[in-house]
Amino acid sequence: MGFTRISGKMIEAQVVPGQPLYSQRGAMLAYRGEVSFTPNLTGGQGGVMSALGRRARGEAAPLMTVEGRGSVYFGHGGHHVHVVDLAGSLLHVEADRLLAFEGSLRQGTVFLGSQGGVMGMVRGQATGQGLFTTTLEGHGSVAVLAHGGVLELPVTPRRAVHVDPQAYVAHRGDLRNRLSTALGWRDMVGRGSGEAFQLELSGQGTVYVQASEEKL
Amino acid sequence: MNGPVVFDAHTLPANDNVHAYAFSVDLDGQWFLQKGKMIAYFGDIRFDGIGHGPLDHLVARSFHSPLHAADWVVAQGRGKLLLADRAFDVNSFDLDQGNLTIRSGNLLAFEESLSLKQSIIPGFVTLIGTGKFVAASNGEVHFVEPPIRVDPQALVGWADCPSPCHHYDHGYLRGFLGGLRAMTGVGGASGEEHQFEFTGAGTVLLQSSETVMPEQPVGGTPAGGGTPGGGPGASGGLGGLGGLARWAERSG
Repeated sequence: MGFTRISGKMIEAQVVPGQPLYSQRGAMLAYRGEVSFTPNLTGGQGGVMSALGRRARGEAAPLMTVEGRGSVYFGHGGHHVHVVDLAGSLLHVEADRLLAFEGSLRQGTVFLGSQGGVMGMVRGQATGQGLFTTTLEGHGSVAVLAHGGVLELPVTPRRAVHVDPQAYVAHRGDLRNRLSTALGWRDMVGRGSGEAFQLELSGQGTVYVQASEEKL
Repeated sequence: MNGPVVFDAHTLPANDNVHAYAFSVDLDGQWFLQKGKMIAYFGDIRFDGIGHGPLDHLVARSFHSPLHAADWVVAQGRGKLLLADRAFDVNSFDLDQGNLTIRSGNLLAFEESLSLKQSIIPGFVTLIGTGKFVAASNGEVHFVEPPIRVDPQALVGWADCPSPCHHYDHGYLRGFLGGLRAMTGVGGASGEEHQFEFTGAGTVLLQSSETVMPEQPVGGTPAGGGTPGGGPGASGGLGGLGGLARWAERSG
Protein backbone atom coordinates (compact mmCIF):
# COMPACT_ATOMS: atom_id res chain seq x y z
CA MET A 1 0.00 0.00 0.00
CA GLY A 2 1.00 3.59 -0.08
CA PHE A 3 2.28 5.66 -2.92
CA THR A 4 5.46 4.94 -4.82
CA ARG A 5 7.34 7.89 -6.19
CA ILE A 6 8.05 7.37 -9.88
CA SER A 7 9.56 10.79 -10.46
CA GLY A 8 9.25 14.24 -9.02
CA LYS A 9 5.99 14.68 -10.88
CA MET A 10 4.40 11.27 -10.88
CA ILE A 11 3.38 8.64 -8.33
CA GLU A 12 2.12 5.10 -8.57
CA ALA A 13 -0.60 3.91 -6.21
CA GLN A 14 -1.68 0.35 -5.54
CA VAL A 15 -5.40 -0.24 -5.32
CA VAL A 16 -6.83 -3.32 -3.67
CA PRO A 17 -10.47 -4.18 -3.17
CA GLY A 18 -12.00 -2.70 -0.06
CA GLN A 19 -9.40 0.04 0.25
CA PRO A 20 -10.42 2.87 -2.03
CA LEU A 21 -8.35 5.93 -2.79
CA TYR A 22 -9.52 9.45 -3.35
CA SER A 23 -7.89 11.55 -6.03
CA GLN A 24 -8.34 14.79 -7.82
CA ARG A 25 -10.54 14.36 -10.87
CA GLY A 26 -8.70 14.01 -14.12
CA ALA A 27 -5.34 13.37 -12.45
CA MET A 28 -5.04 9.74 -13.54
CA LEU A 29 -2.34 9.27 -16.14
CA ALA A 30 -2.51 5.53 -16.71
CA TYR A 31 -3.52 2.37 -14.94
CA ARG A 32 -3.18 -1.40 -15.02
CA GLY A 33 -5.78 -3.89 -13.96
CA GLU A 34 -9.46 -3.37 -13.35
CA VAL A 35 -9.86 -0.01 -11.72
CA SER A 36 -12.87 2.25 -11.78
CA PHE A 37 -12.98 6.02 -11.36
CA THR A 38 -16.20 7.36 -9.95
CA PRO A 39 -16.75 11.07 -9.56
CA ASN A 40 -17.37 11.77 -5.96
CA LEU A 41 -20.59 13.65 -5.46
CA THR A 42 -19.72 14.48 -1.90
CA GLY A 43 -16.17 15.64 -2.60
CA GLY A 44 -14.61 13.18 -0.21
CA GLN A 45 -15.57 11.18 2.80
CA GLY A 46 -18.52 11.34 5.10
CA GLY A 47 -22.16 11.72 4.32
CA VAL A 48 -24.23 14.42 2.77
CA MET A 49 -23.82 16.75 5.70
CA SER A 50 -20.04 16.81 5.56
CA ALA A 51 -20.32 17.30 1.81
CA LEU A 52 -22.59 20.29 2.31
CA GLY A 53 -20.18 21.59 4.87
CA ARG A 54 -17.31 21.37 2.45
CA ARG A 55 -19.32 22.96 -0.32
CA ALA A 56 -20.26 25.86 1.92
CA ARG A 57 -16.68 26.33 2.98
CA GLY A 58 -15.20 26.27 -0.50
CA GLU A 59 -13.19 23.17 0.31
CA ALA A 60 -15.11 20.88 -2.05
CA ALA A 61 -12.40 20.09 -4.54
CA PRO A 62 -13.68 17.77 -7.23
CA LEU A 63 -12.55 14.33 -6.17
CA MET A 64 -13.10 10.88 -7.52
CA THR A 65 -13.10 7.52 -5.82
CA VAL A 66 -10.62 5.02 -7.20
CA GLU A 67 -11.57 1.41 -6.56
CA GLY A 68 -10.74 -2.02 -7.85
CA ARG A 69 -7.55 -3.98 -8.20
CA GLY A 70 -4.47 -2.71 -9.94
CA SER A 71 -2.00 0.12 -9.98
CA VAL A 72 -2.67 3.70 -11.00
CA TYR A 73 -0.30 6.47 -12.06
CA PHE A 74 -1.20 9.96 -10.91
CA GLY A 75 0.18 13.35 -11.88
CA HIS A 76 -1.30 16.74 -12.55
CA GLY A 77 -0.47 19.75 -14.64
CA GLY A 78 3.28 19.14 -14.61
CA HIS A 79 3.38 20.12 -10.93
CA HIS A 80 5.71 18.49 -8.48
CA VAL A 81 4.23 15.82 -6.26
CA HIS A 82 5.24 15.23 -2.68
CA VAL A 83 4.17 12.17 -0.74
CA VAL A 84 3.49 12.57 2.95
CA ASP A 85 3.11 9.42 5.04
CA LEU A 86 0.94 10.08 8.03
CA ALA A 87 1.28 7.83 11.03
CA GLY A 88 -1.47 9.07 13.24
CA SER A 89 -0.65 12.74 12.88
CA LEU A 90 -2.72 15.55 11.46
CA LEU A 91 -2.04 17.26 8.12
CA HIS A 92 -3.44 20.64 7.15
CA VAL A 93 -3.54 21.16 3.40
CA GLU A 94 -5.56 23.14 0.92
CA ALA A 95 -8.09 20.95 -0.91
CA ASP A 96 -6.94 21.90 -4.40
CA ARG A 97 -3.40 20.84 -3.57
CA LEU A 98 -4.52 17.29 -2.85
CA LEU A 99 -3.56 14.97 -5.68
CA ALA A 100 -4.56 11.74 -3.99
CA PHE A 101 -4.96 10.28 -0.53
CA GLU A 102 -5.76 6.91 0.93
CA GLY A 103 -9.25 6.12 2.09
CA SER A 104 -7.93 5.13 5.49
CA LEU A 105 -7.44 8.80 6.36
CA ARG A 106 -10.15 10.87 7.95
CA GLN A 107 -10.93 14.05 6.09
CA GLY A 108 -12.16 17.19 7.76
CA THR A 109 -12.38 20.95 7.37
CA VAL A 110 -11.28 23.54 9.86
CA PHE A 111 -12.08 27.20 10.20
CA LEU A 112 -8.92 29.26 10.22
CA GLY A 113 -10.55 31.85 12.42
CA SER A 114 -10.59 29.27 15.19
CA GLN A 115 -6.86 29.78 15.51
CA GLY A 116 -6.28 33.36 16.27
CA GLY A 117 -9.63 34.87 15.43
CA VAL A 118 -9.54 37.72 12.96
CA MET A 119 -5.81 37.34 12.40
CA GLY A 120 -6.44 33.73 11.46
CA MET A 121 -8.78 34.88 8.74
CA VAL A 122 -6.32 37.47 7.51
CA ARG A 123 -3.70 34.75 7.48
CA GLY A 124 -5.98 32.57 5.42
CA GLN A 125 -6.33 35.32 2.86
CA ALA A 126 -2.59 35.90 2.73
CA THR A 127 -1.74 32.25 2.18
CA GLY A 128 -4.52 31.76 -0.31
CA GLN A 129 -6.14 29.22 1.95
CA GLY A 130 -9.32 31.17 2.29
CA LEU A 131 -11.23 30.87 5.51
CA PHE A 132 -11.18 27.11 5.64
CA THR A 133 -8.65 24.42 5.03
CA THR A 134 -8.75 20.66 4.77
CA THR A 135 -7.34 18.31 7.37
CA LEU A 136 -6.39 14.68 6.99
CA GLU A 137 -5.77 12.49 9.99
CA GLY A 138 -4.91 8.87 10.62
CA HIS A 139 -2.62 6.32 9.05
CA GLY A 140 -1.98 6.48 5.32
CA SER A 141 -0.34 8.39 2.52
CA VAL A 142 -1.19 11.74 0.97
CA ALA A 143 0.16 13.10 -2.32
CA VAL A 144 0.35 16.88 -2.33
CA LEU A 145 0.86 19.10 -5.39
CA ALA A 146 3.34 21.94 -5.40
CA HIS A 147 4.83 24.30 -7.91
CA GLY A 148 8.52 23.51 -7.82
CA GLY A 149 9.99 20.97 -5.45
CA VAL A 150 8.95 20.63 -1.84
CA LEU A 151 11.14 21.22 1.19
CA GLU A 152 10.29 19.70 4.53
CA LEU A 153 11.22 22.02 7.36
CA PRO A 154 11.07 20.60 10.87
CA VAL A 155 9.55 22.81 13.54
CA THR A 156 10.51 22.27 17.15
CA PRO A 157 9.24 24.10 20.23
CA ARG A 158 12.45 26.00 20.49
CA ARG A 159 12.81 26.80 16.82
CA ALA A 160 9.94 28.43 14.99
CA VAL A 161 9.95 28.62 11.22
CA HIS A 162 8.97 31.63 9.14
CA VAL A 163 7.53 30.93 5.73
CA ASP A 164 6.50 33.13 2.84
CA PRO A 165 2.72 32.70 2.73
CA GLN A 166 2.80 32.09 -1.01
CA ALA A 167 5.36 29.32 -0.68
CA TYR A 168 3.46 27.55 2.09
CA VAL A 169 2.07 24.17 0.99
CA ALA A 170 0.95 22.24 4.06
CA HIS A 171 1.89 21.49 7.60
CA ARG A 172 1.82 18.42 9.77
CA GLY A 173 1.68 17.96 13.48
CA ASP A 174 0.72 20.19 16.34
CA LEU A 175 1.63 23.60 15.01
CA ARG A 176 0.32 27.04 15.73
CA ASN A 177 0.64 29.55 12.97
CA ARG A 178 0.65 33.26 13.18
CA LEU A 179 0.93 35.87 10.49
CA SER A 180 3.75 38.19 11.40
CA THR A 181 3.91 41.50 9.69
CA ALA A 182 6.89 43.69 9.20
CA LEU A 183 5.06 46.60 7.69
CA GLY A 184 6.86 49.87 7.85
CA TRP A 185 6.66 53.25 6.26
CA ARG A 186 8.64 51.89 3.30
CA ASP A 187 5.73 49.61 2.41
CA MET A 188 3.37 52.52 2.57
CA VAL A 189 5.35 54.47 0.01
CA GLY A 190 5.76 51.47 -2.25
CA ARG A 191 9.40 50.83 -1.40
CA GLY A 192 8.81 47.66 0.60
CA SER A 193 10.95 44.58 0.43
CA GLY A 194 8.01 42.47 -0.78
CA GLU A 195 8.36 40.32 2.29
CA ALA A 196 6.06 42.22 4.60
CA PHE A 197 3.97 39.21 5.54
CA GLN A 198 5.40 36.02 6.91
CA LEU A 199 3.81 32.96 8.33
CA GLU A 200 5.33 31.95 11.62
CA LEU A 201 4.88 28.32 12.60
CA SER A 202 5.70 27.19 16.09
CA GLY A 203 5.17 23.98 18.01
CA GLN A 204 6.15 20.46 17.09
CA GLY A 205 5.83 19.19 13.52
CA THR A 206 6.82 19.75 9.93
CA VAL A 207 6.01 22.47 7.46
CA TYR A 208 6.08 21.81 3.71
CA VAL A 209 7.31 24.66 1.55
CA GLN A 210 7.45 24.84 -2.24
CA ALA A 211 10.38 26.27 -4.14
CA SER A 212 8.22 28.85 -5.80
CA GLU A 213 5.93 31.69 -4.87
CA GLU A 214 3.42 30.72 -7.50
CA LYS A 215 0.04 29.41 -6.49
CA LEU A 216 -1.35 26.33 -8.15
CA MET B 1 27.39 25.11 -5.03
CA ASN B 2 29.30 25.49 -8.27
CA GLY B 3 29.04 28.50 -10.45
CA PRO B 4 27.41 28.33 -13.84
CA VAL B 5 28.90 25.71 -16.15
CA VAL B 6 30.45 27.25 -19.20
CA PHE B 7 30.42 25.20 -22.37
CA ASP B 8 32.34 25.66 -25.56
CA ALA B 9 32.25 23.72 -28.78
CA HIS B 10 34.42 20.96 -27.32
CA THR B 11 32.94 20.59 -23.89
CA LEU B 12 29.33 20.46 -25.00
CA PRO B 13 28.07 16.91 -24.72
CA ALA B 14 27.89 14.96 -27.96
CA ASN B 15 24.40 13.69 -28.69
CA ASP B 16 23.38 14.04 -25.09
CA ASN B 17 21.41 16.29 -22.82
CA VAL B 18 23.10 19.46 -21.60
CA HIS B 19 20.49 19.43 -18.85
CA ALA B 20 16.90 18.34 -18.65
CA TYR B 21 15.71 21.06 -21.00
CA ALA B 22 18.35 21.28 -23.70
CA PHE B 23 19.92 18.73 -25.98
CA SER B 24 23.20 18.98 -27.84
CA VAL B 25 23.52 17.25 -31.20
CA ASP B 26 26.97 16.41 -32.51
CA LEU B 27 26.16 17.14 -36.11
CA ASP B 28 28.10 15.57 -38.93
CA GLY B 29 25.71 15.16 -41.78
CA GLN B 30 22.06 15.87 -41.71
CA TRP B 31 19.37 16.11 -39.08
CA PHE B 32 15.75 17.04 -39.43
CA LEU B 33 14.46 19.67 -37.04
CA GLN B 34 11.07 21.05 -36.34
CA LYS B 35 11.07 24.70 -37.26
CA GLY B 36 12.14 27.05 -34.53
CA LYS B 37 13.60 24.53 -32.08
CA MET B 38 17.26 25.38 -32.63
CA ILE B 39 18.48 27.70 -29.87
CA ALA B 40 22.20 27.92 -30.69
CA TYR B 41 24.93 26.25 -32.66
CA PHE B 42 28.68 26.02 -33.01
CA GLY B 43 30.38 25.26 -36.28
CA ASP B 44 29.39 25.37 -39.86
CA ILE B 45 25.76 24.45 -40.16
CA ARG B 46 23.23 25.38 -42.79
CA PHE B 47 19.51 25.30 -42.29
CA ASP B 48 17.39 24.67 -45.33
CA GLY B 49 13.72 24.34 -45.75
CA ILE B 50 12.78 20.92 -46.97
CA GLY B 51 11.96 20.53 -50.59
CA HIS B 52 14.31 23.19 -51.83
CA GLY B 53 16.02 21.86 -54.94
CA PRO B 54 18.90 19.63 -53.90
CA LEU B 55 17.04 18.36 -50.86
CA ASP B 56 14.28 16.85 -52.93
CA HIS B 57 15.79 13.40 -52.77
CA LEU B 58 15.83 13.58 -48.98
CA VAL B 59 12.16 14.23 -48.88
CA ALA B 60 11.63 11.22 -51.05
CA ARG B 61 13.72 9.03 -48.76
CA SER B 62 13.03 10.25 -45.26
CA PHE B 63 9.75 12.04 -45.62
CA HIS B 64 6.72 10.19 -46.68
CA SER B 65 4.17 12.86 -46.21
CA PRO B 66 5.30 15.72 -48.38
CA LEU B 67 2.32 17.73 -47.24
CA HIS B 68 3.84 18.65 -43.91
CA ALA B 69 7.42 18.91 -45.06
CA ALA B 70 7.11 22.67 -44.84
CA ASP B 71 7.20 22.47 -41.04
CA TRP B 72 10.62 20.91 -40.98
CA VAL B 73 14.10 22.13 -41.74
CA VAL B 74 17.25 20.20 -42.53
CA ALA B 75 20.39 21.11 -40.65
CA GLN B 76 23.48 20.05 -42.50
CA GLY B 77 27.15 20.51 -41.85
CA ARG B 78 29.43 19.97 -38.91
CA GLY B 79 29.20 21.31 -35.43
CA LYS B 80 27.24 21.25 -32.23
CA LEU B 81 23.58 22.06 -32.39
CA LEU B 82 21.52 22.92 -29.32
CA LEU B 83 17.83 22.10 -29.27
CA ALA B 84 15.17 23.12 -26.80
CA ASP B 85 11.46 23.64 -26.73
CA ARG B 86 9.80 26.14 -24.36
CA ALA B 87 11.60 24.67 -21.33
CA PHE B 88 9.85 21.36 -21.69
CA ASP B 89 11.80 18.25 -20.76
CA VAL B 90 13.83 17.00 -23.69
CA ASN B 91 14.94 13.41 -24.15
CA SER B 92 16.68 11.45 -26.84
CA PHE B 93 15.78 7.94 -27.83
CA ASP B 94 17.54 5.38 -29.98
CA LEU B 95 15.69 3.20 -32.39
CA ASP B 96 17.29 0.03 -33.66
CA GLN B 97 15.41 -1.40 -36.59
CA GLY B 98 12.32 -0.33 -34.77
CA ASN B 99 9.28 1.78 -35.09
CA LEU B 100 7.87 4.38 -32.79
CA THR B 101 4.74 6.42 -33.04
CA ILE B 102 4.72 9.79 -31.33
CA ARG B 103 2.43 12.75 -30.95
CA SER B 104 3.44 15.17 -33.68
CA GLY B 105 3.88 18.10 -31.31
CA ASN B 106 6.38 16.18 -29.16
CA LEU B 107 8.89 15.31 -31.85
CA LEU B 108 11.72 17.86 -32.05
CA ALA B 109 14.35 16.40 -34.31
CA PHE B 110 15.59 13.15 -35.81
CA GLU B 111 18.52 11.71 -37.66
CA GLU B 112 18.21 11.35 -41.38
CA SER B 113 18.66 7.58 -41.16
CA LEU B 114 15.16 7.41 -39.74
CA SER B 115 12.17 7.92 -41.88
CA LEU B 116 9.15 9.86 -40.80
CA LYS B 117 5.71 8.73 -41.78
CA GLN B 118 2.32 9.97 -40.94
CA SER B 119 0.51 7.59 -38.61
CA ILE B 120 -2.94 6.40 -39.49
CA ILE B 121 -3.90 7.77 -36.07
CA PRO B 122 -4.60 11.44 -36.61
CA GLY B 123 -2.14 13.76 -34.92
CA PHE B 124 0.60 11.16 -34.61
CA VAL B 125 3.66 10.43 -36.72
CA THR B 126 5.70 7.24 -36.95
CA LEU B 127 9.48 6.94 -37.15
CA ILE B 128 10.89 3.81 -38.72
CA GLY B 129 14.45 2.54 -38.97
CA THR B 130 17.65 2.92 -37.00
CA GLY B 131 18.83 6.15 -35.47
CA LYS B 132 18.35 8.76 -32.82
CA PHE B 133 15.56 11.20 -32.31
CA VAL B 134 14.80 13.92 -29.78
CA ALA B 135 11.41 14.45 -28.25
CA ALA B 136 9.98 16.95 -25.80
CA SER B 137 7.47 16.20 -23.11
CA ASN B 138 5.74 18.04 -20.32
CA GLY B 139 7.43 16.37 -17.39
CA GLU B 140 9.89 13.58 -17.91
CA VAL B 141 8.97 10.52 -19.96
CA HIS B 142 8.21 7.15 -18.37
CA PHE B 143 8.33 3.85 -20.13
CA VAL B 144 5.68 1.36 -19.24
CA GLU B 145 4.76 -1.98 -20.68
CA PRO B 146 1.35 -3.13 -21.80
CA PRO B 147 -1.22 -4.15 -20.84
CA ILE B 148 -2.01 -0.67 -19.67
CA ARG B 149 -4.68 1.97 -20.15
CA VAL B 150 -3.46 5.52 -20.60
CA ASP B 151 -5.12 8.88 -20.28
CA PRO B 152 -5.14 10.31 -23.82
CA GLN B 153 -3.56 13.56 -22.67
CA ALA B 154 -0.70 11.80 -20.91
CA LEU B 155 0.26 9.70 -23.92
CA VAL B 156 3.45 10.71 -25.69
CA GLY B 157 3.85 7.71 -27.96
CA TRP B 158 4.42 4.02 -28.22
CA ALA B 159 7.02 1.73 -29.72
CA ASP B 160 6.88 -1.70 -31.25
CA CYS B 161 3.36 -2.41 -30.17
CA PRO B 162 0.09 -2.55 -31.97
CA SER B 163 -1.88 0.65 -32.21
CA PRO B 164 -4.08 1.41 -29.23
CA CYS B 165 -7.80 1.16 -29.10
CA HIS B 166 -10.27 3.25 -27.18
CA HIS B 167 -11.48 2.09 -23.82
CA TYR B 168 -14.59 3.61 -22.34
CA ASP B 169 -15.45 3.29 -18.71
CA HIS B 170 -18.55 4.91 -17.44
CA GLY B 171 -19.82 2.20 -15.20
CA TYR B 172 -20.98 4.85 -12.79
CA LEU B 173 -23.40 6.18 -15.37
CA ARG B 174 -25.42 2.96 -15.19
CA GLY B 175 -28.40 2.28 -13.01
CA PHE B 176 -30.98 4.73 -11.78
CA LEU B 177 -28.65 7.13 -10.00
CA GLY B 178 -26.18 6.89 -12.85
CA GLY B 179 -28.92 7.71 -15.32
CA LEU B 180 -29.92 10.68 -13.25
CA ARG B 181 -26.31 11.78 -13.20
CA ALA B 182 -25.99 11.37 -16.95
CA MET B 183 -29.25 13.26 -17.56
CA THR B 184 -28.69 16.16 -15.22
CA GLY B 185 -24.94 16.35 -15.01
CA VAL B 186 -25.26 16.54 -11.23
CA GLY B 187 -22.20 15.07 -9.61
CA GLY B 188 -19.99 15.77 -12.58
CA ALA B 189 -17.80 13.37 -14.44
CA SER B 190 -14.54 11.91 -13.26
CA GLY B 191 -12.78 12.97 -16.45
CA GLU B 192 -11.44 9.44 -16.73
CA GLU B 193 -14.13 7.83 -18.82
CA HIS B 194 -11.95 7.35 -21.81
CA GLN B 195 -8.49 5.84 -22.13
CA PHE B 196 -6.25 4.43 -24.79
CA GLU B 197 -5.78 0.74 -24.19
CA PHE B 198 -2.54 -0.96 -25.16
CA THR B 199 -2.12 -4.70 -25.33
CA GLY B 200 0.61 -6.94 -26.70
CA ALA B 201 4.37 -6.54 -26.49
CA GLY B 202 6.06 -3.17 -26.71
CA THR B 203 6.66 0.00 -24.78
CA VAL B 204 4.36 2.91 -24.06
CA LEU B 205 5.72 6.41 -23.40
CA LEU B 206 3.93 8.48 -20.78
CA GLN B 207 4.45 12.03 -19.67
CA SER B 208 3.77 13.02 -16.09
CA SER B 209 1.16 15.62 -16.87
CA GLU B 210 -2.09 15.81 -18.76
CA THR B 211 -1.09 18.99 -20.52
CA VAL B 212 -0.84 18.11 -24.19
CA MET B 213 1.85 19.78 -26.25
CA PRO B 214 0.29 21.74 -29.09
CA GLU B 215 -0.09 19.63 -32.16
CA GLN B 216 1.92 20.18 -35.26
CA PRO B 217 0.03 19.84 -38.49
CA VAL B 218 0.87 16.47 -39.96
CA GLY B 219 -0.67 17.16 -43.31
CA GLY B 220 -3.74 15.82 -44.95
CA THR B 221 -4.57 12.26 -45.69
CA PRO B 222 -4.81 10.97 -49.19
CA ALA B 223 -8.36 10.82 -50.35
CA GLY B 224 -9.54 7.32 -50.98
CA GLY B 225 -12.00 4.85 -49.62
CA GLY B 226 -10.93 3.01 -46.51
CA THR B 227 -8.34 5.53 -45.38
CA PRO B 228 -9.20 6.84 -41.93
CA GLY B 229 -9.70 10.54 -42.30
CA GLY B 230 -9.41 10.25 -46.02
CA GLY B 231 -11.97 9.91 -48.70
CA PRO B 232 -15.61 8.96 -48.69
CA GLY B 233 -16.59 6.15 -46.40
CA ALA B 234 -13.82 7.03 -44.01
CA SER B 235 -14.67 7.21 -40.38
CA GLY B 236 -13.74 10.05 -38.12
CA GLY B 237 -11.92 12.45 -40.30
CA LEU B 238 -8.83 14.42 -39.46
CA GLY B 239 -10.50 15.81 -36.39
CA GLY B 240 -11.12 12.34 -35.04
CA LEU B 241 -8.80 12.63 -32.10
CA GLY B 242 -9.68 16.27 -31.63
CA GLY B 243 -13.29 15.21 -31.49
CA LEU B 244 -12.47 12.81 -28.69
CA ALA B 245 -10.53 15.46 -26.87
CA ARG B 246 -13.55 17.71 -27.12
CA TRP B 247 -15.66 14.89 -25.79
CA ALA B 248 -13.32 14.48 -22.86
CA GLU B 249 -13.30 18.21 -22.21
CA ARG B 250 -17.04 18.35 -22.22
CA SER B 251 -17.33 15.53 -19.79
CA GLY B 252 -14.37 16.56 -17.71
